Amino acid sequence: MASGKKQIQLLARQFYKLSVVDGVLSTDRVAGVLEYIEKHRPANTLAVLKAYQRLVAAEFARGQAVVEHAGFLNASALDAIAAALSKKYSRPVSWVAKPNPTLLAGLRVRVGDDTFESSVAGQLGALAAAV
Amino acid sequence: MMLSLFLAAAVESHAAEPGLAEKFGLEPKYIIIQAVSFLIVLAVLYKFGIKPTIAAMDERAVKIGAGLKYAEEMQAKLAAAQQESAALVKKSQVEATRIIDDARKSAKDFTDKQTQEAAGRANDILTKAQQAIELEHKKMLADARSEIARLVVTTTERVLAKKLTDADRAAYNDAASRELTSV
Repeated sequence: MASGKKQIQLLARQFYKLSVVDGVLSTDRVAGVLEYIEKHRPANTLAVLKAYQRLVAAEFARGQAVVEHAGFLNASALDAIAAALSKKYSRPVSWVAKPNPTLLAGLRVRVGDDTFESSVAGQLGALAAAV
Repeated sequence: MMLSLFLAAAVESHAAEPGLAEKFGLEPKYIIIQAVSFLIVLAVLYKFGIKPTIAAMDERAVKIGAGLKYAEEMQAKLAAAQQESAALVKKSQVEATRIIDDARKSAKDFTDKQTQEAAGRANDILTKAQQAIELEHKKMLADARSEIARLVVTTTERVLAKKLTDADRAAYNDAASRELTSV
């Protein structure tokens, strides 16, 4: 059972490596991998697809900055944030804006597992934790 | 000897004149017979009465002597026994006194030890109670502080949610984006 899971992870990782070109996830390669899987139907197809989907989603999240904001935020600020993050991670990072009134004012940016926050709610939370 | 003299005198007096024996009608043969009877009675009495009596008296005297000696010995033994018992009583009293003193000392030591242990336990309980009270106090203060902070934050959030204008939020967002850009 354990070896089966290991084989599934190994195969999914191989598909994922084939989907990346120059450190960037390629939609064409992903489509090709999916077509290959559909045609050849490897053992444990569903499990392999789930593992592959997790890897692709993680990589996709690493290349996308989800910017939560309360109030108006212009696109130039979002572009500046994406540029700064691209520079930080040395890979292209796109942005997705997502309104979040619970922040009261300010921003919260999530890139993969990293979170950057400069919001009133965050500062109040830090104040409550510090007291 | 006495009897022969007495008879000779009687014969002489009888031969000379009617003597005293004749006057009183004494007959020598009767006198001899009575003397022999007396001697026989005397011998029988001596054989069966006096001699056993003397032997019994001697035996009794020996027994009395032995009894007196035994009584003296017993008295001496009694005195020795009294002395021994007195010594034993004295020794027992000394031993009893020593045992009582030891018991008193042991009781005092035990009482002191119990008192010290009780005092130690009381101190431990007091210390633990004080620590528990202190911890409880600290926990209560921490809880109160957390609750106050939570209330302050909640109130502040509600006030800010109502009072912050769109312009305030936009300005804050610009400042936040500049801060994040410099990360």
